[in-house]
Amino acid sequence: MVNENLVKDVVKEPYKYGFVTDIETEKIEKGLNEDIIKLISQKKEEPKFLLDFRLKAFKKWQKMKEPDWAALGYKKIDYQDIIYYSAPKQKEKISSLDEVDPKLLETFDKLGIPLTEQKKLTNVAVDAVFDSVSIATTFREELAEHGVIFCSISEAVKNHADLIEKYLGTVVPASDNYFAALNSAVFSDGSFVYIPKGVSCPMDLSSYFRINSGDSGQFERTLIIAEESSSVSYLEGCTAPMFDTNTLHAAVVELIALDDASIKYSTVQNWYAGDEEGIGGIFNFVTKRGKCLGKRSKISWSQVETGSAITWKYPSCLLLGEESVGEFYSVALTNNLQQADTGTKMIHIGPKTKSTIVSKGISAGNSKNSYRGLVKMGTKATGSRNYSQCDSMLIGDQASANTFPYIKSQQPNSEIEHEASTCRISEDQLFYLQSRGIEFEEAVSMMVSGFCRDVFNQLPMEFAAEADKLLALKLEGSVG
Amino acid sequence: MEIIEKIKTNKSDDNLTEIQKICLHKLQSSPLPNPKNELWRLSNKSKLSTFLGYSVNEKDSKFDIPYPKNSQSTIRLIIGENCQIKLIEKNYSIQQLSEDELQKYIKEQISFFKQNENWSDLLNLSLSCKNNILGLKINGSKIPPIEIFSHASSNSLKAKTLVIFLEKNCDVELLQVNLGKENSSLSQSTFFCLKENSSVNHGVVSYGENRSNLLNSLNVIQQKNSAYNLGSLHFKFNYARFEISIKQSAGNAKTNIKGMQITKKDEQISTYTKIEFNGPNGFLDQINKSLADDQSHAIFEGSIIVPKIAQRTDASQLSRNLLLSNLAQIDTKPQLEIIADDVKCKHGATISQLNEEELFYMRTRGITLTEASKLQLSSYFQEIISFIPISKDKWDLLEKLLNEN
Repeated sequence: MVNENLVKDVVKEPYKYGFVTDIETEKIEKGLNEDIIKLISQKKEEPKFLLDFRLKAFKKWQKMKEPDWAALGYKKIDYQDIIYYSAPKQKEKISSLDEVDPKLLETFDKLGIPLTEQKKLTNVAVDAVFDSVSIATTFREELAEHGVIFCSISEAVKNHADLIEKYLGTVVPASDNYFAALNSAVFSDGSFVYIPKGVSCPMDLSSYFRINSGDSGQFERTLIIAEESSSVSYLEGCTAPMFDTNTLHAAVVELIALDDASIKYSTVQNWYAGDEEGIGGIFNFVTKRGKCLGKRSKISWSQVETGSAITWKYPSCLLLGEESVGEFYSVALTNNLQQADTGTKMIHIGPKTKSTIVSKGISAGNSKNSYRGLVKMGTKATGSRNYSQCDSMLIGDQASANTFPYIKSQQPNSEIEHEASTCRISEDQLFYLQSRGIEFEEAVSMMVSGFCRDVFNQLPMEFAAEADKLLALKLEGSVG
Repeated sequence: MEIIEKIKTNKSDDNLTEIQKICLHKLQSSPLPNPKNELWRLSNKSKLSTFLGYSVNEKDSKFDIPYPKNSQSTIRLIIGENCQIKLIEKNYSIQQLSEDELQKYIKEQISFFKQNENWSDLLNLSLSCKNNILGLKINGSKIPPIEIFSHASSNSLKAKTLVIFLEKNCDVELLQVNLGKENSSLSQSTFFCLKENSSVNHGVVSYGENRSNLLNSLNVIQQKNSAYNLGSLHFKFNYARFEISIKQSAGNAKTNIKGMQITKKDEQISTYTKIEFNGPNGFLDQINKSLADDQSHAIFEGSIIVPKIAQRTDASQLSRNLLLSNLAQIDTKPQLEIIADDVKCKHGATISQLNEEELFYMRTRGITLTEASKLQLSSYFQEIISFIPISKDKWDLLEKLLNEN
């Protein structure tokens, strides 16, 4: 039934975003110390409160130990061997896109994210981040008409310092974990979104992160604030070139939703995953957390994780407001020697809060894919509910799938339901499809797509189609 | 370190058995379980130190089996008392393991121990003197049901060890009863070896009294085509841990586990299970129930490990929990670790209180709230209790539990 030779014959699709842009960059020296942090802050012309925030975080980071509880194995990261700031050289001030280096625009064009006026995606505003800095943000004027602020975090520090000072680090404090502390000390750029009261953001907002240099880490920080009765859908994409070395990516994302506000945060993560022997690839250590502060607020995370050599990521929701809602929809695919330890935390603090978790893990090759999640009902979370579903699919007998759900309840008047299952691609179904004339590869891809349907349905249209294609591509040649 | 000193002061080095020496040596490197270890993270530290606080006393006080009346058809053994047994009948035989067999087997088991997983066993074997180790070899079929008792006396810390070999094609029903006295600690370790085609219905009933503590560890090795059915119940302990480790050494075996723990007042009872499939075609059906009331804390952690060799494993695990008070808490963590691809594995977990709709339905039929809750609880308990062998007709556990409630 499963034709092994056929599988072996399948030509593996190379990572198509693996090119390097040859561009003059400004890098600071390797290593991490207070002077480096002061230098980054100085380069970005930051106010004093931010430098203090960074230095405080750095002090905390120095006292912390790298976490080792995840089911991940990787060689020790030398934090002194990383460049913490790298930016393409450009003219002093960019007033319009015409002044951006054409090579950069071309790079984003190649990645399918055109930034120029003529070509830019309709109805999606993009903030393009290249190594440590934001290159361009489209549709800014149109958004400003609605009072929506969408810019790089460096700009926000200059123009909206009050908001940054008020909210930065309130959801993910610098001392939260090792990688969050590191990010707080050295974050270079990222996106800032502010949706004012009563505004439903007229278009999807998107950030595109591109790592270009092999020896610098990327530490971006995203902050989204949705005021009362506002709503926004935010998309995030990421790619990196192919290098033999491992590049560190440690990001922090903070979301804040006030009364009746809703934030939908979608990610398609396609960092370079390393080659078949596991050489190279991005180490992806990300802290993402949303705070449902207001009553009836809602935060929804959806993610498709296909890239990175190592993924360590637990997008979480703190459900404080009464009747607030948290959602997590995830597809994590690992192939070859990739390792992913991902999941979510749903912390129910306020009464009548609700959360839903749907996680689909697909492990192929020699990879390791773990779901790790926490659902906690606090003492005041009366009438709260959680439903979790974690399904794993194993392709090949070398891959591993683990499920570690932590469930804790201190509130009798709440309900938690969790279910998990593990299966493989059914040979009967495969045979059925093939007997109907569907090619083997296509049949597998259809089944994987069906397996992930619950999650893809939650993704914005453009992403859903891309995610489907991405999975098919990543799995090519791995079934047998 | 205190506990090690305590064992040593109680006996001079020369009086310690070889096993005690080995285990003490291992224990010295981690005299207390590491709280960072996932298996001990939630364990109440002060309760554990209370457990270890009682004096180590090897001599047992006189023990009367409190209930029920003995019936002719069961074989009753009390670890530490009448350990002499040799029954050779037409269909079956029950004999004590020789000193050599016992030593060899325990030593072999110790060599597989992992410091962070077998701390309770190491403590047990360090404490357990010769008299308190019972080794049995059971052979044949149509064996009368066996009841084995372990108990601790007030104000003391006791360790009892049980080793059971089930020979090929053997089929037996066995009930283990662990009884805690007021202000006492009992460390019970059981080692089960099921040979090919053997089958056992194993019951574990652990019933404490005011402020009694228990560390109960169960290690089972199942050979091919063996069937291991476990029904367990732990209640009324100030602090209790039930650690189950089951290895299907070559797969092709069946394991059924139905366990329950009930906590009240400020009690903490936890169950940790680890099921490893080291061969193909293994089967597991596990359900663990917890009920937490007052300010108590119930914990369940279960892991299922399916390596590459264990193709066609069919394993399911369900953790069902009832949280009945605002001050009580429940932690549950069912885990799957799977490498083989041709497997069917699933787990589920729920935490809730009594079903309000069902209560409402019964009340509309004229049943009082108390009675309706009792009915619901009895159906909740019954699923587990009916699975505990021997107890059915004699122990009336359901009545006991409902009255306690």
